[in-house]
Amino acid sequence: MGPAGTITDEGLLVAIGEGDRDALRELYDRHAAWLLLRLRRRGADGTLAEEVLQDTFLAVWRKPQSYSGTGPVAAWIWGIGIRRLIDRLRRTWALQPLARGREETVVSAEDEVLLGVEFGDLAGALASLSPELRAVIQATVLDGLTTREAARLLRIPAGTVKTRMMRARAQLREELT
Amino acid sequence: MTWHVPVEALRRYESGAIDATQQLSIEAHLVACDFCRSALAGSANRSALGRTWQAIEAELAAPAPGVIERSLLAFGVSDHSARLVAATPSLRRSWLLAIAAVLTLAVLVANGAEGGYIFFLAIAPLLPLAGIAAAFGPGIDPTYEIGIAAPIRGFRLLLIRSVAVLASTIALAAVAALFLPALDWRAGAWLLPCLAVVATALALSTIVNPLRATVWVAATWLVGVGAATWAATGEASARAVFGQQMQVAVVVVAIVAGFVLRARREELERGEHR
Repeated sequence: MGPAGTITDEGLLVAIGEGDRDALRELYDRHAAWLLLRLRRRGADGTLAEEVLQDTFLAVWRKPQSYSGTGPVAAWIWGIGIRRLIDRLRRTWALQPLARGREETVVSAEDEVLLGVEFGDLAGALASLSPELRAVIQATVLDGLTTREAARLLRIPAGTVKTRMMRARAQLREELT
Repeated sequence: MTWHVPVEALRRYESGAIDATQQLSIEAHLVACDFCRSALAGSANRSALGRTWQAIEAELAAPAPGVIERSLLAFGVSDHSARLVAATPSLRRSWLLAIAAVLTLAVLVANGAEGGYIFFLAIAPLLPLAGIAAAFGPGIDPTYEIGIAAPIRGFRLLLIRSVAVLASTIALAAVAALFLPALDWRAGAWLLPCLAVVATALALSTIVNPLRATVWVAATWLVGVGAATWAATGEASARAVFGQQMQVAVVVVAIVAGFVLRARREELERGEHR
């Protein structure tokens, strides 16, 4: 591939739009590794992560023009990947009952973490968030999901996502001032 | 960007042994940093990535399924059955257009002349018959060679395709019948003869080659209709020719043909009588 290494991701997308498979390969070499890892960190285990990775790059191949041209290409790829993951997870969830007891642990875990606040810096503030609140921050702020998509990924009602988001913001604000 | 994720932190991210805040920070950085991404790619799980790329390439090489195949898949038909149906020559657009053209002509004739009804009712049953004949055979079926070697029963393929061709052609003929001068029982009088000639041709295909069987059945049908019309002593009415007696007769023929087909289905395995 050689010289392809000097082409930007945006340039690769243009080439993919013209049907250049080598460009897709190059984009895959650049982005597949982190995408696979990050999918695994979002609950995609074993072959599921690989299936989502495959779905994602096939989507890139079919619709490279859906990249708006703003922001890093990696963020756009992640947006496709996380949504494909949600689709796949929902299909497997449809076959099994909702994880039991998840909602019940929320309050106690949060209370526990709220009591343990002792840092003033951002990293510490984030770390002090309960896992439930942090998951909401991660899904909305970092993964760029809408409230509804985050609700699907986390398997909680959309209203719960909103209240947790508010609580997380309030908690962060309090700790950083 | 001047700051990069320390190698040691990347390793911990890869293994999953990392606290949530650092994970957030690394993920946010990776989206924007080419350098750290390639650092991660350098130590990545090659086999998983290679496997997935092969799957992607295979997907890219596969031809996109056509309209028929996609709609069959949407209705829950298994993918190999959908492919078999979609490969049927007599479900091509050109074929269906030809069927539509013949039907249009037949309807025009039926609207124009008093005896035109007989023409329509004589032609309509032959269209699925021709479609089924064209669905098989070395000269016409592009998958014929593949079919001989395929681990699928020839009889099953025959039934799948026959049903698909019958369904599509009958649908076209039914639409055409709506344009007949009068919407009475005559508009549907071709349906039973249609099933009868198809069943007879399939049954006959267990004895002689399918093309010959089709030609014989079609010729017999046309001669029979012609004779009946002539015997109706000049009164060229569809009622006299396609009336109750004839409908009962074709049902009997269809049932007999069905039994013959069932008893002799082994003879229809591909490669025989060709």
